Amino acid sequence: MLLNLKNISKWVQSGGQKVFLLKDINFWVNEGDFISIMGPSGSGKSTLLNVIGMLDDFNEGEYSFLDESVHTLKEKHRANLYKQYVGFVFQAYHLIDELTVKENLEMPLLYKKHSASERKSLVGDMLDRFNIVGKKDLFPAQLSGGQQQLVGVARALIASPKLILADEPTGNLNSKQGEEIMEIFTQLNKEGVTIIQVTHSEKNMAYGSRVINLLDGSIV
Amino acid sequence: MFKHNVKLFLRTIKRYKTTFMINVIGLSSGLACVFLIALWVLDEVQVDKFHENDEHLYQVWNKFESQEGSRVFNWTPSILAETMADKLPEVKYAVSQTVPAQFAKIPLRVHDQIIKTGGVFAGKDYFNVFSYPLIEGDKDQVLEGTNSIVISESLANRLFGSPKEVVGKVIEWDAMGMLEKHQVSGVFKDIPSNSTTQFDFILPLATYKKGIIHNGGKNDWVNNNPITYILLNEGTNVEEFAAKIENFSKLQDEDVEADLIITKYSSNYLYSNFENGKQTSGRMNYVYLFSCIALFILTIACINFMNLSTANASRRLKEIGVKKALGSKRTTLITQYFGESVMTAFISLLLALLVVFLFIPQFNVITGKALSLSFDSLTFGLLLLIALFTGILAGSYPALHLSRFKPVTILRGQLKNSWGEVWVRKGLVIFQFSLSIILIIAVLLVSQQVAYVQSKNLGMDKDNVVYFKQEGHLRENAEAFLKELKEFPSVVNAAMTSQNIIGTNINTTGGLVWTGNEEERQSRFKELRIGHGFIETMDMKLKEGRSFSRQFPTDSAAIVFNETAIKVMGIKNPIGKTIHYGSRQYTIIGILKDFHFQSFRETVRPMFFRLNNNRSNLEFVVRIAAGTEKETLVKLADAYAKFNSGYVFEYSFLDSDFQAQYAAEQRVASLSKYFAGLAILISCLGLFGLAMYTAERRRKEISIRKVLGQSASQVTMMLSGEFAKLVLIAIGIAIPVAYLLANNWLSGFAYRIPLKGWYFMGAGCIALFVALLTVGSQAIGAANKNPVDGLKEE
Repeated sequence: MLLNLKNISKWVQSGGQKVFLLKDINFWVNEGDFISIMGPSGSGKSTLLNVIGMLDDFNEGEYSFLDESVHTLKEKHRANLYKQYVGFVFQAYHLIDELTVKENLEMPLLYKKHSASERKSLVGDMLDRFNIVGKKDLFPAQLSGGQQQLVGVARALIASPKLILADEPTGNLNSKQGEEIMEIFTQLNKEGVTIIQVTHSEKNMAYGSRVINLLDGSIV
Repeated sequence: MFKHNVKLFLRTIKRYKTTFMINVIGLSSGLACVFLIALWVLDEVQVDKFHENDEHLYQVWNKFESQEGSRVFNWTPSILAETMADKLPEVKYAVSQTVPAQFAKIPLRVHDQIIKTGGVFAGKDYFNVFSYPLIEGDKDQVLEGTNSIVISESLANRLFGSPKEVVGKVIEWDAMGMLEKHQVSGVFKDIPSNSTTQFDFILPLATYKKGIIHNGGKNDWVNNNPITYILLNEGTNVEEFAAKIENFSKLQDEDVEADLIITKYSSNYLYSNFENGKQTSGRMNYVYLFSCIALFILTIACINFMNLSTANASRRLKEIGVKKALGSKRTTLITQYFGESVMTAFISLLLALLVVFLFIPQFNVITGKALSLSFDSLTFGLLLLIALFTGILAGSYPALHLSRFKPVTILRGQLKNSWGEVWVRKGLVIFQFSLSIILIIAVLLVSQQVAYVQSKNLGMDKDNVVYFKQEGHLRENAEAFLKELKEFPSVVNAAMTSQNIIGTNINTTGGLVWTGNEEERQSRFKELRIGHGFIETMDMKLKEGRSFSRQFPTDSAAIVFNETAIKVMGIKNPIGKTIHYGSRQYTIIGILKDFHFQSFRETVRPMFFRLNNNRSNLEFVVRIAAGTEKETLVKLADAYAKFNSGYVFEYSFLDSDFQAQYAAEQRVASLSKYFAGLAILISCLGLFGLAMYTAERRRKEISIRKVLGQSASQVTMMLSGEFAKLVLIAIGIAIPVAYLLANNWLSGFAYRIPLKGWYFMGAGCIALFVALLTVGSQAIGAANKNPVDGLKEE
């Protein structure tokens, strides 16, 4: 089992009342899963994803990731954990505008101990794999949305994570570009990478092996 | 990682060129200003400190008590020094030295060559007291006897072509009405420019004493002439010593009225003013003032830098968020942002050095100094430290604050500027503008006061008056020369006088006795001995009685006072009354309306005139018709050559002496102009950057407003109005502060301009206008953008 959430709740105080963002979430993920989280706007999909990615806190419950109990870890250890095992793909790509494709890809490696030559070969592999060698010296603004997201996925993969968290990865893309990205996810999943995606679209959901439906912070 | 960060830094610069330019220009001009002022301050505080005995070197002053309080004078009895050296065991050496201004242009003749230059008479231990290294001669011997002259290296070069083998050569000099030949006994190295005492030659004090007697004076305890310097033995308790010698002169002679006080020689330059007989302020005020200005300007520049870096960093929030999500540590981000601001600071440092290098000549003109950029390790280290400090200070906010947030918060765009942050930023703008406004007010005020001083009616006419020394053959045929001058149609009038009428060098005397004042001889008077026609030549106005006239041979026993003197003495119906002065009796024949012979810092002092005996006719004054300066000066030179062949006609204009009294104010006026300009420039750069940032940050809001029907001009008004409010607050803060400062500064002048409202309002309007101009362009730009672009991005 890759990760396990037990009775996870997250709330904010508003006017003296607790407003639940996540309420009593119980759910587990095995290695090799491809999970889609669905639900209407405001149902807590992204919050759940961020909790899983350890970018966000929760107020109650237990969360274990590879047998480490995340809720007891210090910030630093938690960062080390997700740095090592988790890759993120964002809806708005979140590439750094001042860096070229190649440099954007290289960035996650800078925060781990990799030598320059290692970094170079890893970046090279990734460029090859996604067929973007010709674009390596371009800046994000010079790419189409689909190409940018391709770089985003490549960046998430470069540190060989066990888990990829994708928050509406195709939300900003047209349908053809979206399909391409989903094809890539399927391929990755076959290669053994666990994927959790948040999505609105039934079509994208179909790529997954399991669906979790959220409504008002609870799994239904 | 480092390479990666440098790359990011350079690309950010490229993307946000304007912000970067503003940062660098603002910071480098601030730094340049600090460097220039630092150079000046370092030079100022080093003046006169080069003497080896600096620690124990003191000047002795005469302090007189009078109705107006204590007055302190540098003139002391010529026998004070030797008596102190004899009778006080604490005194290692004591020397007299004449005031350098007294013999500033003395003709020296070697064969047919005459050079006019400045010199002093000084006691024999002079070179033991002061560190003016001798190239030739022995420092114990060179001023022995009455037949020697010690000259500077450059004077030796000018007179003899070389400083070598000049000892024993003869120089003829002409001063104090004496023409004598002395033998060169030594050569000293030229006096460095950071010495307040400047001269080219030294004659023995013994010769000076002879000159006093030659001019009908006495070397006693009542006549005060040279300055007295003493060198105290090491370990002397200065306070005890000062207390001990307070009545030293009085003990030597019962007629003495003056107490003695001492001040450290090297402190005289920066603390030249006395209050109640205590050394108080002086140039040190300017040192403080300019140090403060430098610090203020650097602060303003740093504030800008910080403000803009923060604004810039918020633009890069996404970068921070992504980096954190990808696992960057907080320390890594902190290092990155500190690194960037320090790098910017270093770029600014380089630019600042270039600016300093370019501006130093101009700065030297304004300050009258010979400063230069030197790169010893200390300066270099200091510069690096300043840049490092500035960089860290400016980078601290983005580095520490923004790196703190959780990546999700940043990436979701949930990071709002806190109210505190907004207010700090606004507060900084208010602070900057308050300072700028104060500086603008200072510029207006100083220039108004200087203009006032220059245009105020002096009570005499200083314009178109030339004066020159009576020397050489002119001494014998002065009257004939004067008569010839008066015959030129373009010469309005001409006369002789013992001293120049402008300035502080006029003799001060006590000892006047009048009915009702037989006992107490406290009041000090300024005294001038003049020739016939002097009062008329200077265009001084009579209030009562008459001026000196050749028709009255008894005028040699006549005296003319100014109004203030009569007021001080309290004599009713003064004309015809008699006054005792020394052993003689004088009849008051006229009262002059007050005229200003000293700077406007001083009130008019009591003064009197007597006719001169022929010996003390030391200067000619000639009033020439306005607009005929050129041709009249040629005629004067011709007449001079005819009567005094072999001498060079060297003249000065009286009004330039008058101007010279305000050199310090003029300097402040021109410097404050530069500083105010700089301050407002830097403030505007800051405002510009902030306006740009605000316009960008509020793009969505502006778009929504426009979509809802607000017009572009309304948006412009809204944006500009917000900044105008800040400047208005700044005006409100600056005016009271400036008012207090202005009052304080003006109180240093006995005659001053009234503080008018428009200086303050004017400065405020200037600041507001410039601010609106700066913000306006940004506001208009933001208001005219297509609202759809602004909305699409979200």
